[in-house]
Amino acid sequence: MGAQLDPGSFRDPSSAVFLTGDRVLRGIGPAALDDWQALTRAPFFSPAVARGDIVATEQLPDAPPELAGPWAGVLEHERVPFLSYPYEWTFSMLRDAALLHLDLLIASLDAGMTMKDGYAYNLQFRGSRPVFIDIPSFARGSAGPWPGYRQFCETMLFPLLLVAHRGASFQGLLRGRLDGISPTEMRALLGPGGIVKKGALKHVFLHAAAEGRFNRDGARSLTKDLQGAGFTAELTKATARSLRKLVDQLRWKQSDSAWSAYRQTCSYSDADREAKDRFVAEAVDFAPARLVWDLGCNDGAYAEMAARSADTVVAVDFDPVVVDLFYRRLRAADNRKILPLVMNFADPSPGLGWQNRERPAFTDRGKPDLMLALALIHHLVITAHLPMAGVLDWFAARGGRLVIEFVEPDDPMARQMLASKPADRHEDYRRDVFEKLVGERFEVINQVALPSGHRTLYHLQPRAAGG
Amino acid sequence: MLAYLDPGSGSMIVQAVVAGAAGVAVVGKVGWKRLTSPLRKGKAAATDTEEEQGAADD
Repeated sequence: MGAQLDPGSFRDPSSAVFLTGDRVLRGIGPAALDDWQALTRAPFFSPAVARGDIVATEQLPDAPPELAGPWAGVLEHERVPFLSYPYEWTFSMLRDAALLHLDLLIASLDAGMTMKDGYAYNLQFRGSRPVFIDIPSFARGSAGPWPGYRQFCETMLFPLLLVAHRGASFQGLLRGRLDGISPTEMRALLGPGGIVKKGALKHVFLHAAAEGRFNRDGARSLTKDLQGAGFTAELTKATARSLRKLVDQLRWKQSDSAWSAYRQTCSYSDADREAKDRFVAEAVDFAPARLVWDLGCNDGAYAEMAARSADTVVAVDFDPVVVDLFYRRLRAADNRKILPLVMNFADPSPGLGWQNRERPAFTDRGKPDLMLALALIHHLVITAHLPMAGVLDWFAARGGRLVIEFVEPDDPMARQMLASKPADRHEDYRRDVFEKLVGERFEVINQVALPSGHRTLYHLQPRAAGG
Repeated sequence: MLAYLDPGSGSMIVQAVVAGAAGVAVVGKVGWKRLTSPLRKGKAAATDTEEEQGAADD
């Protein structure tokens, strides 16, 4: 079986990533090989790998036969359990990723190296920890300005400023434009009053002014000139430290209020909650799971339950404040298993970038062994108007087991949602209809009606194709 | 410089300013030199070898 070129790896001619089976291999050219060797000797590298800040990487003694093309060297990277992208991250996640990037930049400069770019897509998350994955970004030679500064502004700093200074959100913007927010666009988003905001004067306004004025110059000769005029590593470090201080100070007010208002939902007198917990725990323990999706994870209680026996849990919710809160708790506990993401189930992340494959669609990143869809279906069918059959088709197509909670129309929450719709709009939203549709697509492993009588839980296995 | 990425001249200058007074001084030095160049190609090209680099950027 040949190795497949990773569809996201094509911009850097001196390096290409190949995926073969479960392995992530990277072919590198001669200059990149020299940079790699310098990196392994740099004092910050091994401790960073040990901490989980840089993806574990080894050079292979020989190029595997399935790797196309002559390469000066081949590296193997540890695989990230589930890929995610900045348009799915919360404010705090993007901020922590940015801080890591800057810390690595400062460490590189101290070691006489630099980083070639400043792209948010050079980072991934393992559970609640950001990890830097683009090894060839580290290069020898630390004099001269940081080439990644503009990309860092466009894909990391500006989205953070948008949240901190305007209370707006960045996920839609980043999904709409992988290159991020340009300085000119950022200036427009902040408005003239924005010039007094932290970090705006230089990184946004000056940057936007310079962008128009100077770009016709040959950047390469300017780099040489700046180096010759004394732009040393110390200067670049000063820039990096200034950026770090700025990012460290940025806050999202909404998330902070939720954080201080948060109280752990305590042990339950509620019989429904007990029965639900028991049912989910049984389903989680039913079979080992490499990957679990918790769709509509809310405060993450069930994601945490699933994490007890799964390798990786991806916990998704539509509300960025809720997910940010969950992330901050996970980060405080240094949780490396649960990856919280912001995403609308009715509009999941599509394939983006070149050939619409550079950044794979959410559903193309790994088959879940188990999915949790608790307290979700009524939001999808009643509020989002998704067809019940279509929703169940989507779940069945994933191939893994499903735990799904049907919320009766007479449940107080469902009743409230239905109240704002025309009376006959959701006539089909009934348990008998639901169970019929389920039976056509799944085998029922187990089901239980919760004591209050308003909700039923199902543990399902998709029928084999043609069944 | 090995980057596949075009860093953008404007971004480099801003970066220098962010670095502080030392950075501004560096930009000042380069700016002065260049100020005598692309706009006055004919005059400077004869006197300064570095202008050949600037003139080559078409």
